[in-house]
Amino acid sequence: MAGAFDFTAAVPLLPFAAFLIALIVGHFAPRLLPKGGAIPGILATAGSLLISAWLALTVSQGDYHTETIYTWVVGQNTFDLHFGVLVDPLSAMMLVIVSLVAFLVHVFSLGYMNDEGETGLPRYYAGLGLFTFSMLAFVVADNLLMAFMFFELVGLCSYLLIGFHFREAGPPSAAKKAFLVTRFGDYFFLIGVVGVLATFGTSRFLAVSEGVESFPHLAEQALLAAQGEGATPEHVAGFLDVVGFEPQTWFAILGLLILGGVIGKSAQFPLHTWLPDAMEGPTPVSALIHAATMVAAGVYLVARMYGFYALLPTVLAIIALVGGFTALFAATMGVVKDELKQVLAYSTISQYGYMMLGLGAGGYIAATFHLMTHAFFKALLFLGAGSVIIAMHHNEDMWDMGGLKEKMPVTYYTFLSGSLALAGIVPFAGFWSKDEVLYEALIYGSGESPILLAGYAMGLLAVFFTGFYTFRMVFLTFHGDARTDTAEDPHGVGWNVKFPLVVLGVLAATVGLINMTPVAKLTGAHIEYLKDWLAGPQGSAFANIGYEHYHHLLVDFAGYGADESLGVLVPAAVSLGLALAGAGLAWRLYSVPEPVEHTEKLGSIKTVLYNNYYQDEYQVWLAEGVTLPLARAADTFDQGIIDGVVNGVSSVSLFAGGRIKRIQDGLVTHYAALLTLSLVALLVAFGLLGGWF
Amino acid sequence: MTTRPRLRDPATFVPGIVAVALFVVLSAVFLNAGFGSAVGFGGDVNITATIGYALMGLLDVAGDSAVASEGFLAAFIIVAFLLDAALEGSVLLATRDTEGGDGE
Amino acid sequence: MAVAVEYYLLLSAAVFCTGVFGVLTRENALMFLISVELMLNSANINLVAFSHFYGNATGQVFSLFVIALAAAEVAVGLGIILVLYRNFDDVDVTNATTMRW
Repeated sequence: MAGAFDFTAAVPLLPFAAFLIALIVGHFAPRLLPKGGAIPGILATAGSLLISAWLALTVSQGDYHTETIYTWVVGQNTFDLHFGVLVDPLSAMMLVIVSLVAFLVHVFSLGYMNDEGETGLPRYYAGLGLFTFSMLAFVVADNLLMAFMFFELVGLCSYLLIGFHFREAGPPSAAKKAFLVTRFGDYFFLIGVVGVLATFGTSRFLAVSEGVESFPHLAEQALLAAQGEGATPEHVAGFLDVVGFEPQTWFAILGLLILGGVIGKSAQFPLHTWLPDAMEGPTPVSALIHAATMVAAGVYLVARMYGFYALLPTVLAIIALVGGFTALFAATMGVVKDELKQVLAYSTISQYGYMMLGLGAGGYIAATFHLMTHAFFKALLFLGAGSVIIAMHHNEDMWDMGGLKEKMPVTYYTFLSGSLALAGIVPFAGFWSKDEVLYEALIYGSGESPILLAGYAMGLLAVFFTGFYTFRMVFLTFHGDARTDTAEDPHGVGWNVKFPLVVLGVLAATVGLINMTPVAKLTGAHIEYLKDWLAGPQGSAFANIGYEHYHHLLVDFAGYGADESLGVLVPAAVSLGLALAGAGLAWRLYSVPEPVEHTEKLGSIKTVLYNNYYQDEYQVWLAEGVTLPLARAADTFDQGIIDGVVNGVSSVSLFAGGRIKRIQDGLVTHYAALLTLSLVALLVAFGLLGGWF
Repeated sequence: MTTRPRLRDPATFVPGIVAVALFVVLSAVFLNAGFGSAVGFGGDVNITATIGYALMGLLDVAGDSAVASEGFLAAFIIVAFLLDAALEGSVLLATRDTEGGDGE
Repeated sequence: MAVAVEYYLLLSAAVFCTGVFGVLTRENALMFLISVELMLNSANINLVAFSHFYGNATGQVFSLFVIALAAAEVAVGLGIILVLYRNFDDVDVTNATTMRW
């Protein structure tokens, strides 16, 4: 089935075609698009899904692929810049996830947007198509610069889609905030990309042909040379001389710079403030972009570059701590929110914190596993929230809901499936992945890297809060008595809403079974399918992007050693127990016919949490109090000095002209005098020079 | 004169200093230039006749009494033409326009 | 004993500078014109002096042309002064300063 790789480029390009159709036909001939561009979008994402599944099948048989599609800058005596694809287990898995979620979101949008009579649909479907294209192209990118370009493009699509209802006050402001905050992080990412290109002369993730190098491999060689084995690659050595740092330090700096973009895009602390505001966009957009795919881009990038990050223990520790902290931090804020989508937004921030914790702790498999399960259950929760929002006539306040369980059974059961997965209750998907993340943090933390235990502790505490806020959300929305008339008689939802919910509900329940590490360790059965999938082929050039290679790098360069003395059952039991405790507390407090706002009892703590620890105000202050005066000073310098010099030259010229023109006074005798004077002067000059006197 | 006589204001002579300076420079140049002795004309040459022959361009039939010269027939005709033009020009300038023209 | 040519040149320079002096300081247009005539005649003196110096009659023929041209120039100049008088009611050159900045 080698033919599959010929269609790799079609995976992103089909949604791009849908984008063009929605845009052009939607503008010039709208009547040709009865659903506003939904049909091309659905067909395109279905096509991408089928090709992605075919690619995954091919890859599972051990056949990987990398190819340069187009070289857009041919360097003379220097490196080239090109677009290319890299299809390996990680990217094939991500392609399937992204195209599946995109397909389901397109179907859901028929129910959420079309059936609700929204206007401007071609713009919406064009935005979705462009986003899907950018995300899929980002996933298959084979070099960092191309990844950066599509990283930026998904940020742009996020801006366009959040601000879809641009005539209201909230969405454009939220879109701007999302774009600016992620752009701030992307600035550091750009510097990192330039740094990588300058240091290594290439930004490829993997090199398979002769004469071509990849930067993780070059970094590995440089660090081996620093340890005494082998020679530093020439280009790297030359650049390190220029910069004057040790290789370890410089690579750590590059890793941290790229991490800036990751933190922004995956909404980690401190660049998390944009994600709750992004809920102003339509719910299918929130499901696709801000739950499953765009925020995953940051984590996916770290996983893609893991061959580079695995060499840098300091950066890994920072990633783990940032992730663990964000997980706890966001979980505490999710506890007090009143709006359905806000709880889910903070939940997303928190869960991506877990993935970062997993990556930093050396749990590459765990983090990618959680990436996959989270994509499914979070998209499910958002789509379920969308279904509830349609039913409640676009009222999101949970305190106006209640008792929807009987009236919306499909939504309820799928939402419950997603919530159980989110809270991490066995045997739903979230339990297996989150537990594995925490397990990896524990074993490496109690082994050679004790700092990871801090991340483990924060992650563990966040499990309790996660269980609590998740079930608080479920009970307030679906259980109890209906608190308003809309809740008593909700708007019905159609098959186009229920079908994606059912598909994702089934996935959220079952996808965890592909990598049940605790069961595998206890029984010795070979059921860790994801680990085998990502392990990487031995002996081929593609081995450098497989888990075996990463594990070897972690052990040799980052000094990670595992201490598995606690076994698997105890940590699993602890995290499951905490999750059940949180869920149980929520059940006691909120699963009553008429729940009260128990969070009020927290008093001033609740105010701080509700105001998001005043992070939004702090960032606004940074913009107004720090950046604005600097910008004003720069403007004054530009206007006063730089423009002043130019204006000064012109005013000197004008003044001189104004004075000299007065010689022409109309008096003939003065002109004659000037003539004669000039003649005398010339004669004297020639005489002196020519020796006449 | 119906206005009382006025003497020239001495300040108006100031530009004349330039003329004096020009004279000084010219005389300095001429006196320092080394000219040889003048050739002069011979004893019984007829300069006026030479001028006449030169103007007419008939120097080759001038005979022995002529001094060396060049032919100026073309210049003679052109100057005649020019004098004619000058006459016409001055008459044109002097004609009074019946309208009054730009007398403001 | 012939006069050395330098003295003729000196005479010519003196007459020329007298003419220049007149151009620079005279305010009556007719006196201006007379000064211009002086300058032309100084050129004539120069021409004849060099004709004697080189023993060639070309200088003298040329000076005849200069005299003719001076006459033509005076004719046109007087016409201009007439128009000047008509426009400014006076032949004072210091009065006619409208072509200025």
